[in-house]
Amino acid sequence: MKKFFSNPTIREGLRIILAIGAALLLGFIITLFVSEDPIGAYKAFLTGPFTKFNRFGDWIEESITLILVGLSVAIAFKANMFSMGTQGQLVMGALVSGVVALYVPLPAVLRIPLALLCAMLAGFLWGLIPGYLKAQLNANEIVSTLMLNTIAIKIYDYFLVFHIKPEDAGYNVSEKFSVEGQLPSFIPNIPIFNKAYTLFTENTNITIMLYIVILAVIVAYYLVFKTPFGYKLRMIGSNMKFARYGGIDTKKTIILVFAISGVFGALAGAHLTMGIQHCIITNISISMAFEGIIVAILARNNPLYIPITALAYGYLRAGANIMERSSDMSREMISVIQALIILFVTAERILPTVQRVIEEKKEQTSNKENGTLSEGGSNEH
Amino acid sequence: MSINLVLKGIFSALFLASVLRISTALILPALGGLITDLSGSINISLEGTMLVSAFTGVIVSGFSHNVWLGVLAGIAAGVLFSALLAYFHLYLGTNIILAGTALNILASGGTVFLLFMLTGDKGSSSTLASGVVPTVNIPIIKDIPFLGTVLSGHNIFVYGAFVLAFLINQLLYHTKFGVHLRAVGEDPVAATSVGINVRKTKFVTILVSGFLASLGGLNLSMAYLSSFQRDMTAGRGFIALAAVYLGGRKPWGTVLAAILFGIADALSNQLGTLNIPSQLVQMIPYAITIIALVVYGIRNQQKLIEQTKRFQERELARSKSEQQD
Repeated sequence: MKKFFSNPTIREGLRIILAIGAALLLGFIITLFVSEDPIGAYKAFLTGPFTKFNRFGDWIEESITLILVGLSVAIAFKANMFSMGTQGQLVMGALVSGVVALYVPLPAVLRIPLALLCAMLAGFLWGLIPGYLKAQLNANEIVSTLMLNTIAIKIYDYFLVFHIKPEDAGYNVSEKFSVEGQLPSFIPNIPIFNKAYTLFTENTNITIMLYIVILAVIVAYYLVFKTPFGYKLRMIGSNMKFARYGGIDTKKTIILVFAISGVFGALAGAHLTMGIQHCIITNISISMAFEGIIVAILARNNPLYIPITALAYGYLRAGANIMERSSDMSREMISVIQALIILFVTAERILPTVQRVIEEKKEQTSNKENGTLSEGGSNEH
Repeated sequence: MSINLVLKGIFSALFLASVLRISTALILPALGGLITDLSGSINISLEGTMLVSAFTGVIVSGFSHNVWLGVLAGIAAGVLFSALLAYFHLYLGTNIILAGTALNILASGGTVFLLFMLTGDKGSSSTLASGVVPTVNIPIIKDIPFLGTVLSGHNIFVYGAFVLAFLINQLLYHTKFGVHLRAVGEDPVAATSVGINVRKTKFVTILVSGFLASLGGLNLSMAYLSSFQRDMTAGRGFIALAAVYLGGRKPWGTVLAAILFGIADALSNQLGTLNIPSQLVQMIPYAITIIALVVYGIRNQQKLIEQTKRFQERELARSKSEQQD
């Protein structure tokens, strides 16, 4: 048992489960006070996404976006760069992919990859700006990315209102993309899958982005943990000065970190326009990027855990929507739970006694097995 | 509409007065952002603090029918809210940026949640008759033609913002606490070594920044408007942070930067009548902030190079004199 608890992954996992559990409990207490039918409301909240097929689809679609914004945030945070820039990158990705999907007269086979690539390039370039400011001028990345977010939103709105929107449209929205500009369903439309295809396309918007996301997670994991770039990134994240003295080109790495973070953010934008909305629309998921921070923190900035935390977190969000529709509770209740989860998970000293007990256990085990220390050290090279 | 008319509009007394009113909701939180920044922590939750205060002020004044009770409750809520940030950051070891993000989420959702529970409306508190703080007519100035319209007849928060800017300037550069605050921000280890309580200094600073942000929030819901609107701060807490950097991390510089943001905001309303896209005008202050970050960064680098040079020269001179001995 001692060994079980001393495993850092398990300890982290337990911590996060405890934090989510505590937050959900507090959410329930709030519901008890406020709702006329607290059990019904909470049941809708916790089981909602499985009650109807289209609700299940909403959950998965939202989780795909969450994974992408989560990856974007995690890569920056892993390097200890507190980039808030995912929002701007998402908006840029949405705009560029949308323009390609709308205007480039190519067949779907070419138009969709081109749109995705252009979006990724836009995110990369948009990420270069705060990266350069941080690396060359040590400009505060929080302020620069927040400013760039607003600039990105204004650029998006400007192009939408003055160039993309049809003149007779009352609302700020582009024409609907033709089928060649929409991401196809994740199930191929061939006879064997006929039944599944109609079931999913009629009720959900789960697209081939599902596969791209899986690929993105693997790429991000390899990038962070298995490449020289990832090693530099992690070194900068754990100790910037040490990394510099160790001969790491910190400037180049920091610029790249922001740019690569932008690639994932932009893909999330492409997913929203080409997969979900099928048009360029004003106010596109403004808050989504900040949700990415929660997803990344819960996953401790490890790309491999992000799908799990995104699915869990997406489940809560979807559940909250359903709870609002089927009870007297408002969906904003979930923001209390969200905030508590972040605070509980990130408060390093929130359970000092528990921590101390675990530390003691760790000490005991490390005394017994001196060999583990040198093993841990060799991983760093 | 011709350009002449717009220009007339911009240089009119009413326009300048509206700039002052719009800027107030930025000046106050920006001052809060300034002191936390100088003390070495970054207060991301200014936005949330403003929202919580704006909400509390309206609700309490609406139910108690007492404006001042609302203002007091709003301030108390804002200070308590930032105490939460300070406690989690300084005592429970939460990263201040993550804690600030959590509190912003809590404020944004929590206010809507409570608003819905208390008034049954999710968008605004307009069904609740809440109070508005009084405006002040300055005795002699109000009768001067142009100046009177610009400077007189504003609500108390507008004047309060400038008084507080003066007080913050005094606090930072002319009191012992201000010296401690800046020392903590400059080098916490060195500050500790001369006996300054870093944690306590930071805690108090965050509380004061919460107080300033709460006034900014109350200005929105109890003066600029007379009700609470969902997410009514609309990113002002973040713009306030930018104003700190645009203003070169100095009190009056920060105030000027906040006013610049206010001008751009007011200007975009005016230019809407011309065919200039308002989005492009609204973008200006953000772009200027980026430029300010660049200038600030280059200046810092030059300072660092100069310091290194001076250090090298000093060391060289010393080693030479030692050789001569």
